[in-house]
Amino acid sequence: MSSTTNSAPAKRRSISYAKWGYFFIAPFVLVFIVCTFIPLVSTFYNSLFENYKEGLTVVGPNFVGFDNFVKLFTPRADGRLEILNYTVNTMTMWIMGAIPQIVFALLLAVIFTSERLKIKGQGFFKTVIYMPNLIMASAFAMLFFQIFSDVGPINQIITANGDKAFLFFNNEWSAKSIIAFINFLMWFGNTTILLMAGIMGIDQSLFEAASIDGANSSQVFFKITLPLLMPILIYVVITALIGGLQMFDVPQIITNGTGNPDQTTKTLVMALNGQINGNTRNFGMAGALSVILFIITGILSFIVFRSTEPKKEGKKK
Amino acid sequence: MKKRIMASLLAAACVLSVASCGGNNAATTTTTAAPAANNDTAAATTTEAAPAANNDATTEAPATEAPATDAAPAADEGDTFNIYAWNEEFKGFFEKYQPGYDAATQTLDGVKVVWTINPSADLVYQTKLDEALMANADAAPADKVDLFLAEADYILKYTDSDFTMDISQLGLSQVDTEYQYTVDAASDSNGKIKGVSFQCCPSGLIYRRSIAKAVLGTDDPDEVQAQLDSWEKYDAVAAKAKEQGYYMHAAYAETYRVFSNNATGPWVSGGTLSIPSVVEDWTNQAKTYYDNGYILDTLPGIWDDGKNAEMFNTGKTMCFFGPAWYFNFCMGNAQDPDNGCYGDWAVIKGPQAHFWGGTWMLAATGTDNPTLVAKVMKAFTEDESVCEQLIKNEGQFTNNKNVNQKFAEDPNYGNAFLGGQNDVAVFAGMTDSIVWQNATIYDQACNEGYQDCIKGYIDGSIDKDTALQNFYSKIREQYPSVTTP
Amino acid sequence: MANASVNKRNGQMEYFDKTKTTSLLVSRIVSYIFLVFVTVLSLFSFYLLIINASRSNAQLQAGFSLLPREHFIDNLVTAWNDTSIFFLPQGILNSFIVSAITCILTAYFSAMTAYGICVYDFKGNKAIHKFIILVMMIPTQVSALGFIQLVNQFNLTNTYWPLVIPAIAAPATYFYMKQYIDSTLPLEIVEAARVDGSNEFRTFNFICLPILKPALAVQMIFAFVGSWNNFFTPALIISKKELMTLPIMLSIVRSRIGSQAGDMGEVYMIILLAIVPVVIVYLFLSKFIIGGVTLGSVKG
Repeated sequence: MSSTTNSAPAKRRSISYAKWGYFFIAPFVLVFIVCTFIPLVSTFYNSLFENYKEGLTVVGPNFVGFDNFVKLFTPRADGRLEILNYTVNTMTMWIMGAIPQIVFALLLAVIFTSERLKIKGQGFFKTVIYMPNLIMASAFAMLFFQIFSDVGPINQIITANGDKAFLFFNNEWSAKSIIAFINFLMWFGNTTILLMAGIMGIDQSLFEAASIDGANSSQVFFKITLPLLMPILIYVVITALIGGLQMFDVPQIITNGTGNPDQTTKTLVMALNGQINGNTRNFGMAGALSVILFIITGILSFIVFRSTEPKKEGKKK
Repeated sequence: MKKRIMASLLAAACVLSVASCGGNNAATTTTTAAPAANNDTAAATTTEAAPAANNDATTEAPATEAPATDAAPAADEGDTFNIYAWNEEFKGFFEKYQPGYDAATQTLDGVKVVWTINPSADLVYQTKLDEALMANADAAPADKVDLFLAEADYILKYTDSDFTMDISQLGLSQVDTEYQYTVDAASDSNGKIKGVSFQCCPSGLIYRRSIAKAVLGTDDPDEVQAQLDSWEKYDAVAAKAKEQGYYMHAAYAETYRVFSNNATGPWVSGGTLSIPSVVEDWTNQAKTYYDNGYILDTLPGIWDDGKNAEMFNTGKTMCFFGPAWYFNFCMGNAQDPDNGCYGDWAVIKGPQAHFWGGTWMLAATGTDNPTLVAKVMKAFTEDESVCEQLIKNEGQFTNNKNVNQKFAEDPNYGNAFLGGQNDVAVFAGMTDSIVWQNATIYDQACNEGYQDCIKGYIDGSIDKDTALQNFYSKIREQYPSVTTP
Repeated sequence: MANASVNKRNGQMEYFDKTKTTSLLVSRIVSYIFLVFVTVLSLFSFYLLIINASRSNAQLQAGFSLLPREHFIDNLVTAWNDTSIFFLPQGILNSFIVSAITCILTAYFSAMTAYGICVYDFKGNKAIHKFIILVMMIPTQVSALGFIQLVNQFNLTNTYWPLVIPAIAAPATYFYMKQYIDSTLPLEIVEAARVDGSNEFRTFNFICLPILKPALAVQMIFAFVGSWNNFFTPALIISKKELMTLPIMLSIVRSRIGSQAGDMGEVYMIILLAIVPVVIVYLFLSKFIIGGVTLGSVKG
């Protein structure tokens, strides 16, 4: 059964079981290499080629060096740099959704874990808050499109008073807000569960000590809960960030793939999708976009890691 | 609405199968029909509609089907007949009217018919079709694409390639009952004919009779046409309609095809994109109409709920533009038994003759059922009894001049949805003015992309240049080789 | 004098307790209001879906309403009999197979990997951990292109292998499991098992895995839901109707909207039917969420 032969002697360990480590991580590593690493490399490799479909004719693959990147970073005639726009759109909508998501999740986690409040019916509330996550993103997009559409209920109320209908999806900020709100609604329950787990992991004696010292609840939260929750909070922020950078279904369906108004709801992955799917099959450009997405993710994750500077890894076993 | 069509379709299919195969297996067909016809209105309509269809089917079927059953299945034919389509429309026609088709076994002359239907939205249909066509040479016989459908906006992509067959290789040639533009559309750049259409799609102005009466004082098609036969007159009536609280048309892109399908120049020539002057004209019209409040201020697209809601009896819109297929395909709300306004419509030529859409049948290179492909193509263009039923039961305008003419001249023919008006006569009068010109493989991307991107300019939220830049970038995304201004 | 002072002190104490209980009462009321608000927010979408699934296409187009209508069964029949998506129950079954395998593989192998990293001190241990964290940050879409090409090369289109195998390497789940093992799994148990002569793999499966149950349950829910609602990868890999998962079927029915064949009532019915199984799975596993999963720096 030992798939990896390795004779690395176990140091500092009472028993020499180290080689078992390789056995345990082998499936993960193997699958990762085949399913993610090789595709990743080939995607990056693709970015150096001109390779697309025009009508039924396949153009390329021809090696073009960094031409695809140059094209992506060339502003269009009116000076707009679209790739930058898509990045900013993605980040803006993510932040607009992630802030309430984390705030709500923190509040809920504190309420649920509070010894003092002793909330009744916790089981029900905890069960319910995760439920929006069970609905497909596309279904949410359709529901909210219906609610805010030109002939939807909100506009029925507006026009009933004789006012002109407000076109929520023709206005940059209302469109972005709706998309961000859907993301918030879908994910705050998920985040709550993770944060709750984190708070319950904090040593109860710390809270007791704090209350003996006369700390009020906000002091407890900011001085004890939050700092000790940091590792989990970083995990939450990073996973949310990755989810946010992948934002696709909701804006794609709500704007019917257009990214209207004026490209302000078009995200990076929508742009990527425009290259992979449909008539174009532009592997070169899609590869280049993927590289950029990868770099952006890397930079942002680094910033999150740095700005929240995790405490030392604890004791290593 | 959809149910009613389904119910009558299935009912007709039932009776047909009873008529043609002596009732064996009719029971299974009936069980599938039953759940669809579960609502009272649908059932009632079925009983009215079905006999008309049945009589024709039973009386005419033997004439057409007798030779078909005689003809033994060609020995060299593959045993699966694969048809690619983007909706169920043609499948319905095929299953009801194709001579030699056995609904019980789903076979045509003993060959199993397999449909691959993918939605046209997000280009899913073309993506899957392209993959299949490119692999057709090496595909297993059961997977080979034999026949596929294509629409006007992208037909050139297929005809102007080696993935489609010259119909002369199938033993077919142009017949003079076909409309010339449908042949031109199916021809490649060397003039080789690659397919046939079962529809001719002259598109007219469809107006709401009651609103026309209120605005123009008449709902008589000839008199209405006299008041709307140029864009100047159309503009004047639009102003009048507005005064009385009506909209001239609903969607901002309602008239787009009237302009774009009379294009004086191509979208892309010599690899460079330029906006045809007629599209500029349309843009100006759409902007003026929006600014003047002649159209819905919510600016719905032509397929959106907001526009479709205008076809309910509560609608305030006078004009829609569309061909014969529009009645059944897009005007479901108008035909709704509760909230619709069935019979309150009429069709005229309007300010400018044009065509819109249309479905062509193309033979895939590598087909292993060439005889059957030819048979189907022939049936839907040359077989007069098939064409007659397409008009009578399906509200189509066929690609057979003789049959259309027969209905156009028939004083007893009338379309109840249009208050008994003879729509075939109206469409037949427009066919000579339709031209197929300046088509490019980029048309679909350009037509759809332009309507989408220009919207921001029309509602005033962005300037025209930004809107155009958005459009150009969309085209560059889809066609990297095209140079944009 | 003394009495008075005692009284005064008592009064103060009473006052103190009172403010304390009042403020507790206020925070309780505020908490409940907040919870009710969040509950309404969470369930509103479900209510809308049920309402919409009970309305016909024409009713849906005619306008919005908060009241259910009579077409629930009609829509159910239409969805059930829709041959353009093959057969809806088959789609539910397909989605279930893919999601169930995915969630089991994700949970099991992530736990296994995390266990390997936490329990054994082998060469490259830390490097691999850091590497996995880095991997976690790669969005699926980035490697999608190469992944599809790979799938094509191995002729695995229209099979479920490319949908379930990658679940073995789920970095985010691994990270969570590692945090959990670090905080809740005493190494002494492992060593005790060794003393008893248990094989390492057996120790993991029969002694340690049960301890990880709450965390496994949470991650299984996440993985199940994620796979159940995944459209991006399956849409690129599955084109055979009989293999389609629910999100693909939904996209087909939804794409007909705007034409005669479009039926919003059917669309909402499919969405609703798609939610039922996942809600059942969720409710089955949710006791672990309610019970709470302890995670963090506390040591056992």
